[in-house]
Amino acid sequence: MAMAAIVINANKEPLYHAQGYVFGTLVDINIYGETEARASALANRVLQDFQQLHHQLHAWKNGPANQASQESASELMHVNTAFANSQQPVKLSPLLTKLLSDAQALSLRSEGLFNPAIGHLISTWGFQQDNFGVSKIDPDKIRSLVKANPAMSDITLKNGEVYSKNPWVKLDLGGYAKGYALDQAVQYLRGQQVQHALINIGGNIIAIGQHGNKPWRVGIQHPRKPAAIATLDLNDGWAIGTSGDYQRYFMLDGKRYCHIIDPRTGYPVQHTQAVTVLIPPQPHAGVLSDVASKPIFIETEDKKSHAAALLGIAYYMAISEDAHVLITENMAQEIEWLDEKFKLNAHVKLIKP
Amino acid sequence: MSNLLNRSGAIYRQLRAGDWLIIIFSLAITLLLFQTLWTNEHASKVQVRLGDTVYGTYSLNQNRDIVIEGGIGTSVISIAQGKVRFSKSPCHNQYCVHQGWLVRAGQAAICLPNQISLELIGENKPYDSLNY
Repeated sequence: MAMAAIVINANKEPLYHAQGYVFGTLVDINIYGETEARASALANRVLQDFQQLHHQLHAWKNGPANQASQESASELMHVNTAFANSQQPVKLSPLLTKLLSDAQALSLRSEGLFNPAIGHLISTWGFQQDNFGVSKIDPDKIRSLVKANPAMSDITLKNGEVYSKNPWVKLDLGGYAKGYALDQAVQYLRGQQVQHALINIGGNIIAIGQHGNKPWRVGIQHPRKPAAIATLDLNDGWAIGTSGDYQRYFMLDGKRYCHIIDPRTGYPVQHTQAVTVLIPPQPHAGVLSDVASKPIFIETEDKKSHAAALLGIAYYMAISEDAHVLITENMAQEIEWLDEKFKLNAHVKLIKP
Repeated sequence: MSNLLNRSGAIYRQLRAGDWLIIIFSLAITLLLFQTLWTNEHASKVQVRLGDTVYGTYSLNQNRDIVIEGGIGTSVISIAQGKVRFSKSPCHNQYCVHQGWLVRAGQAAICLPNQISLELIGENKPYDSLNY
């Protein structure tokens, strides 16, 4: 009887849920406390804004070449073409100017571990397409791309224009755009006086308000199973982001090659399965939730804390290749383990501040 | 009263090693079943989404295949004995098929290329969104 009452209440609660596919991933929007009509209009607008951002920022074309379904080139792709051909400055939209200068600053702070200039490496590994993967690794090409050393410090932004002194710079904002989109959505929804919402773009989540009288609750994906390993409450203004070797990868000769590439070696990282960062409320919480997991993912275990400190990350968790968990004490206090193996704490190592 | 105690003591003495084994074994099974069936929320339904719309919500208490035309081709979703999985997909990497069977509420599988998602629904949703 009690159970039935709960179900009825759950069906009546003013929770609107929408899904869409943007940025090559799944977007999941929950809005609480609005009428269905208003929530649906707001969610649609957010999805449209995401779509527009994607059109401006995508680094490669969707769909097979020479087909009608192919997307048109984005502003970012035009910039990349210009970089490859000359050092002449090209005009930039105000939005892209802002994003590139922010991405440049973050790349600098991360000592180049967050490097959106390595688009050529990413495409060499076959990740700049929807059906990704390569059948053969090309060590010579990888070596020469690492030697060319494309970096965000190679580009100069001035008077609404940009140029690169290094023709090997190819921008890919795959580790930035989703985070920016989260911040943009939060700004829009708060401007519309939305009190409660949870926005998830491919595993980067940000919270506004809460789910009725309790906080929004998010699950952290198990890197090797279709289940959550843990849950945590995401309070108003907090963001969370995960980078995983299971999101985009291919297998070759029994080895896993994921989309997260160490810019120093040119090879996919193989010592880490997943890194989750938790970001307290701040103006660019969404961007940080997207960007900050990459440097921590790329660094080896002994240097992960250093990589986290560079971007001011206080809460994070890393799951190593052999399924051991490295977690900051404050993050351990936030999460509730679901997975039995981790719950027993046998695999969990706390990092003291 | 003391008579009664004596008699029950006699019953214990009559139990053989095999009887004890059965008792311990059944206790262990009960505990195990209690853990898997009670503490972990089993799902009763699966919600299937195609693109931005709900394609359908299906009971897990049946055996059937659901055939869906997605953006790049035909996906097959199989429901059997309270579980659900992607069993066929036109996508290149087959992540969705490799996810295998989903059992518990909140578990989800997504096929990004074909824009189809499965989510298991139970009486209590363990979380609002998944940080995958």
